[in-house]
Amino acid sequence: MSGGAGAAGQTGTGASRAAGETPAGGRTAPGRAVGQESLDKKSVDKASAGQASVAPDPAARAGNDPEATDAAGGLDRSLFRYIWRHSKRDQILICSVVLASLPLYFASLDLPRRIVNEAIQGHAFEKGNETAKFLVLRLQMPDWFGHDLSLFNGFDVDRFELLFGLSSMFLLLVLINGAFKYWINVAKGALGERMLRRLRFQLFSLILRFSPNAVRQTKPSEVATIIRDEVEPIGGFIGDAFILPAFLGTQAATAMAFILLQNVWLGLLAAGVVGVQFVVIPRLRRELLRLGRQRQLASRRLAGRVGEVVDGIEAVHANGAEAWERAEIGHRLSGLFDLRLRIYRRKFMVKFLNNLLAQMTPFLFYCIGGYFALKGQLSIGQLVAVIAAYRDLPPPLKELIDWDQQRLDVQVKYEQVLQQFLPERLIGADGTGLDEPLCGRLAAEGLGVQEPHGPVLAGVSLTLPLPALVGIVSDGGPAASTFARVLARRVVPSSGRITIEGRDLSDWSGAALTRRIAFAGVDPVLFPGSLRDNIVYGLNRRPPPMAEAGPDGRDLAKDLAEARRTGNPVEPFPADWIDYEQAGVADAAALDALILDWLARIGMGEEVYRFGLLGQVDPDRHPELAARLIEARVAFRERLAAEGRAHLVEPFDPARYNRQATVAENLLFGVPTTPFLTGRALAEHPVVRLVLDRAGLTDDLVTMGERIAATMLEIFRGLPSGHPLFEQFSFLAADELPEYEAILARRTATEASAARHGGSAFNRIRRRWIGLGRYGSADATRLIALPLAYIEPRHRLGLIDDAFRDRVVEARGELRTALEEVGGVDFYDPDRVCAAAPLRDNLLFGRINQSVADAVETVTATGTALVQEMRLAPAITRVGLDHQVGPEGRFLSSGQRAVVSLVRALIRRPDLLVLDGALSPMGENRARTVLGLLLERFGRENSLVVVLSNDRLADRFDHVLRAAGTQIHAPDAPAPGAGGDVSGTGSNASGGQGPAGAGAAAPAAAVSGRAGTETGPGPARVDQDVKA
Amino acid sequence: MTLETEVQSLRQVPMFREVDPARLKLLAFTSERVHFASGQRFFDRGDAADAAYLILEGEAAVTLEGPQGPIRLALLGANALVGEMGILADQPRSATVTAEVPTTALRIDRRVFLELLSQFPQIAIAVMRELAHRLEMTNQQLAQMRTG
Repeated sequence: MSGGAGAAGQTGTGASRAAGETPAGGRTAPGRAVGQESLDKKSVDKASAGQASVAPDPAARAGNDPEATDAAGGLDRSLFRYIWRHSKRDQILICSVVLASLPLYFASLDLPRRIVNEAIQGHAFEKGNETAKFLVLRLQMPDWFGHDLSLFNGFDVDRFELLFGLSSMFLLLVLINGAFKYWINVAKGALGERMLRRLRFQLFSLILRFSPNAVRQTKPSEVATIIRDEVEPIGGFIGDAFILPAFLGTQAATAMAFILLQNVWLGLLAAGVVGVQFVVIPRLRRELLRLGRQRQLASRRLAGRVGEVVDGIEAVHANGAEAWERAEIGHRLSGLFDLRLRIYRRKFMVKFLNNLLAQMTPFLFYCIGGYFALKGQLSIGQLVAVIAAYRDLPPPLKELIDWDQQRLDVQVKYEQVLQQFLPERLIGADGTGLDEPLCGRLAAEGLGVQEPHGPVLAGVSLTLPLPALVGIVSDGGPAASTFARVLARRVVPSSGRITIEGRDLSDWSGAALTRRIAFAGVDPVLFPGSLRDNIVYGLNRRPPPMAEAGPDGRDLAKDLAEARRTGNPVEPFPADWIDYEQAGVADAAALDALILDWLARIGMGEEVYRFGLLGQVDPDRHPELAARLIEARVAFRERLAAEGRAHLVEPFDPARYNRQATVAENLLFGVPTTPFLTGRALAEHPVVRLVLDRAGLTDDLVTMGERIAATMLEIFRGLPSGHPLFEQFSFLAADELPEYEAILARRTATEASAARHGGSAFNRIRRRWIGLGRYGSADATRLIALPLAYIEPRHRLGLIDDAFRDRVVEARGELRTALEEVGGVDFYDPDRVCAAAPLRDNLLFGRINQSVADAVETVTATGTALVQEMRLAPAITRVGLDHQVGPEGRFLSSGQRAVVSLVRALIRRPDLLVLDGALSPMGENRARTVLGLLLERFGRENSLVVVLSNDRLADRFDHVLRAAGTQIHAPDAPAPGAGGDVSGTGSNASGGQGPAGAGAAAPAAAVSGRAGTETGPGPARVDQDVKA
Repeated sequence: MTLETEVQSLRQVPMFREVDPARLKLLAFTSERVHFASGQRFFDRGDAADAAYLILEGEAAVTLEGPQGPIRLALLGANALVGEMGILADQPRSATVTAEVPTTALRIDRRVFLELLSQFPQIAIAVMRELAHRLEMTNQQLAQMRTG
């Protein structure tokens, strides 16, 4: 087994394993070869040449595990061929184990007969023998075969010993058969799961290759459903595909053969019933399958529809279409219900028939077998054994029938899944090709792009000397944007081609082009994760070296072996995939600095700094920053004192009640990290309640809760529920008012009752019995929940006195001791950073006194000055890179999303950066600044192509292309001579029509489009100018 | 000082005299109590009107910036309401208000105040009555000036 790079290109299981076992050689060798080649050919772009040497060549990567090439090659049309191709070794192994287990299974069927006949009825001792032979090992042959082959003559045993011996042997066989079954089941399960893993991975790989057209037609939630749910039964079936029929079939055949051997008539009888079962039941089930298929499609569409509604929930709300959507989904659900009901009716009818047939046979056995036994043609032992054997017959048969149904079902499912992944919906797999800088003369030759509603680009021919700054002025139509996308390889032209220095761009390898071309569009795609994750997304291209041990102590070698067996990637994950070299930096810190530099230049530095203030600092990850924060915390306090503003902040002091903080915060004196200690849940936490009881705070809090509830009921009554004032100010939600009203009413009634009847034990019980228990623990918990959020200076209900404060501080210590074991709170500590609290709170380490006018502004100003003085801003901004952007980046503004998307492109240092509306969400002023910045940076080594909506900034570009209808004109090539000037001005005039035409209707665009084709020679002339 | 004392202060304001105590309590509860040091500004002329202030303790001066330094228009004491016209008219502050001595005031947020007006006609009517009353006063003064 020494495949290495040599076997890399081959396909097939054997080669795969061979190559798979030497992953390092398989990957790096070809990669280095490519790098060498590119180093030889060019020396312009040193960084990218170095890049090429580590760039994973796709072929080499596939060679790493040639089975992975299947993922590139699509799936087999037939499920069974697919299964056989990828798992024949395992299938054969398991089948042979199944076969090996059969003789023992047969023996376990035969033993009952011997126990009854030989031991119990004593046939073995018939001829007056005192003893019989036990454990005679011979190859048992049927009577008609002749003599047996003797292996061991056995022990002499008496009747009881024989009985116990045989019974023990029976038990032993049961155990052995069980062990076989166990092994087979586990192996089957693992096999199925492996195939499922492979299938899911292949499907996912195929999704990555969906053509733009296919992407447009696909609903994300439907595809997700396919990969998650629909292939699941296929995977379950794969484990059984060959083994189950082999196992159960032979098992049933063995049992049948056994019965036949005992009595031919009984055997034929059983075979007859089985035959009926086999023929009739599947026929009845065909209809079930059809219904099942319909159900699958309907529920897939339901998932797609729900996904659509969730994605477009804003539009649903904005248009008030909730009722319509509800009705629509209701209709679908009713369809699903109807289908399911029909399936059930049919299914249980089939089940009934099946059971009936299965029960018929024992009846016949007892009846006919008994008759034979009475006539002496069948021994009692044989009858018992036959019936026992028959009891083993129906389950395998039933499972076989199930298997057959499953087979049909799964085949259909597999085909339906395949429909989504047809080759025509995919773009070609990434092959090898050139990897050279995109410099020199770029020429578009007869480019055309056809959309369903007509041509967008037609016969566009022009040349541009790269690197250059290129502006494409749009005429309001889609042509400019489409041309930019063609350049960025986001759109595949339907005709024509793009060449660089005469070489077709499609000669470049896909990986090289995606590295050398960056594109930022109007709709940035962000993934959930931090700002940093999103910005470095385009650098996640370098598979890290193999790790020695798994990240969480898992057995890495085993993981890798599994991955190879299932055609999954073997690169470590999670790991550092970032290609620092491409960004031109040495390590993560330098990369962060580079990102922050870009963000600051683009004007998002301030925002990221603010994210940082709200971010969390993990002292283990950033020990240096943590230490400086503690330093700054002390300095902050001193500075405020020096400015005479110490009263503006009440610091957290373990020995003092913080008046500006809530009761809950004063109790916990830390930040909860579990939901069980957050907010009102604190009132239900058993440990907290125990501490409150011990500190004598429970009654106080209940009373405070009553006062708060009473006040809220008084002042918020009459406000409609859902009123903003509720959410902003009330301790109670609007829908909680009645509940608390009831609690207070119970309390009043209890007090009245207590006053009238006294507090005897009997009366207490009576009150509880009639539901008037004032301190019913549920009521108490609800009431305690209220004062947890109470801050005396803010809410001013006059509920807190010094005695209460002292007791809270006392309870604080006890609570800390109790909770430190359990965990769930990150406690405040003057000398430590509280990792769960925002950075800002760690700096302040206290609460601002809200009742002093302008306190927040003043303290913020002091803090900002301090941060500046201590040069903390860069570190804080770096924390801001950990800010979570939310699903699809929804926690960011659209301007911020655009910045993230742009920096993501910039950080890759592409040869060619194409911007199509990427700046517009930033707002006009910032967009202009950013464009100026980009124009400064690009043009010397790298090219910049920007789609412009008007002429305003066009003069800042080297080359301005103008879109007109379906044409792109290159009017003003740089003017090396007078000819250039002439052609420039001439075309400028015709280009000037563009924007005017854009305002007008479609016919105008068509006219200018025709005008464009008429001026066909134009580009050629420009071309000559460039050459000259 | 608790909510109750603030409600008492609110009742001293002519505009709120007729309003139900529970509503005044809501108004007080949804407002903030803030302390101003001596010389600290409530707001400057030209600022956006985001709140009205009810002085609970202390004194505040209403001034206009004149060519020879600030001109004091009025001195407000306890239970005086200031800045309410600005939030009703949604216009920038017409004068500067400064605390003369350490002063405590109830800051009534504009948004909350308007929310209460729209929710409780009783408060709205009280405000209208007060405004009509002031208009009447102004008219009389104007008439006196014309005749005088």
